[in-house]
Amino acid sequence: MIEYLGQVRAIVWKDLLLEARTRERVVAMGAFAVLTGVLFNYSIDRTVVRPQDIGAGLIWMTIVFGGLLGVGRTFHLEAQDAALQGVLMSPAPKDAVFLAKVISNFVLLYIVSLMIVAVFMLFFGLELGSSAATLGLVLALGVLGFVALATLFAAVSAGTRMGETLLPILIFPLLIPMIIYGAGATSRLLAGRPATEVADNIRMLAAFALAAVAAGAVLFRFVVED
Amino acid sequence: MSATGLAVAAAHDSSAASPVAPALEARGLVREYGSVVAVAGIDLALQRGEFLTVFGPNGAGKSSLLGMLAGSLRPTRGEVLVNGATLDFGAVDLRRHIGVLSHQGFLYAQLTVEENLRFYGRLYGLGDLDRRIPERLSHVRLAERASSLVGQLSHGMRQRLALARALLHDPDVVLLDEPYTGLDPSAAAILRGVLTELRDGHRSVVMVTHNLREGLALASRVAVQVRGRFAWQGIGDEVETNDFERLYHRVVEGGS
Repeated sequence: MIEYLGQVRAIVWKDLLLEARTRERVVAMGAFAVLTGVLFNYSIDRTVVRPQDIGAGLIWMTIVFGGLLGVGRTFHLEAQDAALQGVLMSPAPKDAVFLAKVISNFVLLYIVSLMIVAVFMLFFGLELGSSAATLGLVLALGVLGFVALATLFAAVSAGTRMGETLLPILIFPLLIPMIIYGAGATSRLLAGRPATEVADNIRMLAAFALAAVAAGAVLFRFVVED
Repeated sequence: MSATGLAVAAAHDSSAASPVAPALEARGLVREYGSVVAVAGIDLALQRGEFLTVFGPNGAGKSSLLGMLAGSLRPTRGEVLVNGATLDFGAVDLRRHIGVLSHQGFLYAQLTVEENLRFYGRLYGLGDLDRRIPERLSHVRLAERASSLVGQLSHGMRQRLALARALLHDPDVVLLDEPYTGLDPSAAAILRGVLTELRDGHRSVVMVTHNLREGLALASRVAVQVRGRFAWQGIGDEVETNDFERLYHRVVEGGS
């Protein structure tokens, strides 16, 4: 078990170090988040629509689209010099490789999702009050479920000619539960409702994340086997 | 996790039951890609200290053979055994016994030389990396480039680093796919020196190459693979380069 955790840690360390050196994915996701916030800001007539009514949905859709930009490229750096093949030929179990990829993608996308919320709060004048920690938990669970599915399907689409087009088509239908419960909880928190009112949403998001991580860990080896 | 555990346990049991098992064995290996048969039934048994060089024209299935021996490619039929234990995708522990050097280095261009080796060392669960990494880098004459980004290295240097990576965990079985491709004479000489040490150090080596001279110089056994089969096999010491060149062309043109 100690060795398993060491292998997971090694891959996470490598992925985050590569991202710190290249800033390829965080910059793409961050720029997308800011620009999306700016565009949405100008696309809404505030005399007709109240920002807090649609803010939650826009936040989650921005997380999904921005996340696809970054998580979708998970295996691109690995493809150079066939580095993923070297990892897969090592004694690291395939589920350890998958879990490590999920952790590193989670760290990156969670940072970006907090930034997305900040951007929308700025442009839409949204207020969180005492619900910041609860929203942080909602985002964490939603992002975890999303990156687990996106990492698995990024591995599927990486080996195909139209990978970047294929990824959203494969993953969007599976994200419906995350959007329903994530956006639902965020809406209520932005409307100033108490945290207890979103407890069911949090439970559903946790179940979704757990199922996505478990399914990904089991299925990943079949995706990367030649 | 449990499947992995079972595979490892089976590997240990099997090793215990056959103490004199070949270091590397292939039984009836077949690999098909749809209707294309890349490897059409290859058997081999390699004892410790044996160096098998496999020659063959492009498309003969040499890389597919090596992929199956490395456990990165699932055979359509047949099996690979390492020290008497079956190698499959779940038997991760057996991978500690195998080192692979391909024409692709499995390296990260944005990491330094030392970081690449440290990463692979952690994947293999090696505990003495502070001693092992400088040692391996000196071995391939890259010690002074330890902190250079791999992306800044020449092809020859990257190939030497890939060799250090492949040997970092002291594997019993070393698989080499066209290791001389694109190397200048000086880098080729370093590679030749390391491969000679491997041969003399009782490792089992399978090298796939088009380079007849380099391949024969090191081989204790030689095979020519044509259309997925070993069309000819011989003893390395008994083969002269000039004679072998004629023989090679005859075998390749004659198919099997």
